[in-house]
Amino acid sequence: MKAFVASKLDDYSKGKISRRQLLESLTVAAAATAATGGAQAAPAPNRALKAALVNHISYQCPDLRRVADWYSRVFNMEQVTYPSEPSQIGMPFGRRNQKPLGVTANDVPTSYIVVRTRNPNGTAADKGALARPASRAVIEHVAYTVADFDRDRAAAELRALGVQNVRNGGLYSLHMADPFGFDIQLSGVANNAITDGA
Amino acid sequence: MERFIDRLIDEFDSGKLGRREFCETMALATAVLASGGAAANAAPQRGFTMLGVNHISYQCPDYRVARDFYRDVFGMQVLNDKGMGRANLAFGPAPDSGGNFLVVHNPGNNPRPPTQGLVDHICFTVANWNEPQIKAELAAQGLAQRSRGGNGTMRVIDPFDFDVQFGNHIAENINEP
Repeated sequence: MKAFVASKLDDYSKGKISRRQLLESLTVAAAATAATGGAQAAPAPNRALKAALVNHISYQCPDLRRVADWYSRVFNMEQVTYPSEPSQIGMPFGRRNQKPLGVTANDVPTSYIVVRTRNPNGTAADKGALARPASRAVIEHVAYTVADFDRDRAAAELRALGVQNVRNGGLYSLHMADPFGFDIQLSGVANNAITDGA
Repeated sequence: MERFIDRLIDEFDSGKLGRREFCETMALATAVLASGGAAANAAPQRGFTMLGVNHISYQCPDYRVARDFYRDVFGMQVLNDKGMGRANLAFGPAPDSGGNFLVVHNPGNNPRPPTQGLVDHICFTVANWNEPQIKAELAAQGLAQRSRGGNGTMRVIDPFDFDVQFGNHIAENINEP
């Protein structure tokens, strides 16, 4: 799709096609791509253990409700509660049963954040989680992709929403602090494994 | 969609949008259109529409050890490793079409202070789940003692004792709790 768009844009820039022709060709191509399922998933690996996507990020904090409400307010994320697990709330990216961006496989579900408040005196599961060896690695920040990202507009929107410590993160992104000071980065798809750190 | 493209062309014509940005925005918009219906594409009144995880920034004492672990165990692709203390590890869809990546890096000169919120583990989806083969691969890499679990969800402790979970779409699926 990208190569096609680039080619049509070149034609338009050189005057080979009109604005109307550019608009029509891109609209038709976008609709056709969407109808055929969009970007294809990576070919099946010939190894069993291969990460296909982030499944979830487990985030621990002193007050899960406060964080969940913050994500819902800033990122319009739904909250999924678990009757058997009152100390956690799940928040999926996208709507129920919607395929993740760029994924066509049926066995790669929506990614989500699960917010937890661990209780040292709580259930066996809580205690088990705390019993792990102390990690010498730390997740310093997590970056999310949002639709229609424009850095200046996004910064203004975040500040209007009362988000703290909003600052630029290079050409393609913003950083901010969540209610417990954890660093969150926000970008569009322009910030990716190829462009980040290039 | 046509109105959206119309606006993009306006921005391109007025110089607000470069050629690269134009192509990237079109590719993203098409991917979004392909992955959801009209309701999913509607802009929210306030805030943002989340599309997914972009990357996870993983800080550790030696990024090369983490790089090799995630490449060898989870089949991630190493990108932008210039030997300068960091590398990107790409996985999933193409990088500009929804792919995720892990940034493994050494501590910087100005480390962030500890916060009350922290990520205590991450979980990856593994497609085409074949548990006996997964266990055999872990054993072949000398990770049998550092991994546990089964029935569609497992964990492995990485070289810096960070807890990594991985599972299939049945055991680890928010839509089917």
